[in-house]
Amino acid sequence: MNFAAEWTLPVMWAQQQVELEWWTWLRWGLWLVLGFVGIFPGVVAYMVWAERKVAARFQDRIGPNRVGPLGLLQPIADAIKLITKENIVPRAADQVVHLMAPVLLLVSAFLVLAVVPFGFGTSQVDNPAHFNGFVPIDPPAGILYLIAVASVGALAIFLAGWSSRNKYSLLGAMRAVAQLVSYEVPQVLSIIPVILWTGSLSLVAIMNQQLDQGWFLWSPPGLLAFTLLMIANLAEVNRTPFDLPEAESEIIAGYHTEYSGMRFGLFFLAEYLSVFAVCALTTVVFLGGGSLPFVDYPRLFGTETNTAYLITNGLAIGITAAKILFLVFVMFWVRATLPRLRVDRLMNFAWKTMVPLSLANVLIAAIWYECVIRPGQPVQALGFSLPKPVLGWLITLPLVLALLWLVFWINRREWNAEVKAARTGLTRGGLPGIVR
Amino acid sequence: MSQTLFLAISTLGLLAAVGTILARNLVHAGLYLVAFFFVVACQFILLEAEFLAVIQVLVYIGAVSILLMFGIMLTRNIQGDATTTVPQGWTLPALVAGLGLFLVLGFGINNHVGLKNKAAWSATATRPSSEIPKEGEASPRTLAINNMGQAVGIELVTRYVVPFEVAGLLLTAALVGAVALAYREGDDEGTNPAMRARAEFEPLDAPDQNRNGQPDSPGSASLTTTAKS
Repeated sequence: MNFAAEWTLPVMWAQQQVELEWWTWLRWGLWLVLGFVGIFPGVVAYMVWAERKVAARFQDRIGPNRVGPLGLLQPIADAIKLITKENIVPRAADQVVHLMAPVLLLVSAFLVLAVVPFGFGTSQVDNPAHFNGFVPIDPPAGILYLIAVASVGALAIFLAGWSSRNKYSLLGAMRAVAQLVSYEVPQVLSIIPVILWTGSLSLVAIMNQQLDQGWFLWSPPGLLAFTLLMIANLAEVNRTPFDLPEAESEIIAGYHTEYSGMRFGLFFLAEYLSVFAVCALTTVVFLGGGSLPFVDYPRLFGTETNTAYLITNGLAIGITAAKILFLVFVMFWVRATLPRLRVDRLMNFAWKTMVPLSLANVLIAAIWYECVIRPGQPVQALGFSLPKPVLGWLITLPLVLALLWLVFWINRREWNAEVKAARTGLTRGGLPGIVR
Repeated sequence: MSQTLFLAISTLGLLAAVGTILARNLVHAGLYLVAFFFVVACQFILLEAEFLAVIQVLVYIGAVSILLMFGIMLTRNIQGDATTTVPQGWTLPALVAGLGLFLVLGFGINNHVGLKNKAAWSATATRPSSEIPKEGEASPRTLAINNMGQAVGIELVTRYVVPFEVAGLLLTAALVGAVALAYREGDDEGTNPAMRARAEFEPLDAPDQNRNGQPDSPGSASLTTTAKS
């Protein structure tokens, strides 16, 4: 084997060139430069502004209004302040890990966005009724990829808390990891009905499927799964009422207590980026991405000519953005409304309410699949046929209601027994949670 | 074609593996291990098995590494200050044992001849690449390359259903064992956060047997793994 000839540098680089069209290079380059460096951080900056405005309205204040009209330049001022601020690292901290943690968290938050389709893209060649999706990459295991890279964030938060050498950081990190690991279970389980109905793990396939049969939200198991997913999303991105990892009245700022300057800014960016990402995921999975109910505009306009492509995708991106912003607003709304949960209630809620609900919901989703989605004749009985969705609603709605009642009844009964035991003084030490 | 990339990534992986055993700080060792897991995911990507790569990241980086970190935190060595040291007398025997294992594995893999009608492990093949489904029925290979999740799922519930169920039984047994280990008589009110907090902090005062990087009991390990997988 002529080693030297085979492994000279030019040959090496020539060997590993994968054949890509220039259009693919351009597309990926634009996604990277415009999307991931330009638009997404910009969206995040103005999400912070929007949150401050929304919270201010809820609390009968005005909110930021000093920098620019309506305070619109406030995010830029904040960014300049964070970048120019001195970066203080504790002497006892683990320098390398301390730097690595926020970067890892930010990378995980960015990678999630790589598989979310924000529009319809071009029509598929072999199936013109379906679309390729306006998305950086569309791997066949898209949802799984998304869950995997999102779970790396838990490791980053842990490292941030550990490397700071601060009790409060460590406590915050422990809380965060316990919470993230617990709420990941209902989050993933509540996406399973959608995977079952689509038969694919690709987010683009899920979006196409909803063009065929309407939003996945409009079914009893879909509604329940959507609600569970929204709650689990709140917990996954550490938002109130699940912001125990950074509960400022208890543990200063949790895992980022010892971060200052732009390193803290990276945590901030990653948190709001995750909020954006989970809302985008929910939009694509349950709210049909860029589709509208009753108006099948992507197939009406098509994507054959350049104008049609631009109109369809412009509309789709606008509608997707509106849906995502609505969900983000719901998150702000919840944050401005609800107080923080207690640690044990948090864990109980995850394991005793959300996990059983989402597990049983998978079964109900299978029933909905059999009734409505599986191709075949509608049920004929007593001379008249029942439309499939009506049959599905008739069967699954009572099931969902019974499931909700059962789970909440069991939990309530248990809680009542505990309260009773505490009042009669049977429990050692009383029950600190109940203050009369 | 991607041989150079393979060599570069493998070198990184070997460096991470060496770092894992040389790092004195337990958390640093865990981080090197995470880097190694990531390199394994990269190797799956090079083989165009992106489903397996994603599973690798999900299970090993998302779950097992978190578990390792928790194991380190729950020992007394909570800040990772106390560094591990290698006892003097054990260096040479460990070296001999490690090299012996390496030789056995290398020899075995390299000279494996395969069962009857089965290919040997060490056969070389050209890199698979995305296949466009031909007219009519798609071949199993096309399915496996283009939609590996589906292929793995179908295989798991048809051909490998018995191993799959046995693995599930094993995990259930581990889960029950973990609950049995963690459960304490007289502590089952479960209502009193103060009591529970006290119970949780007790092991910190107990003598610490996990100094040498045995992070956790196997029972609790499978607890989280089951929950994640």
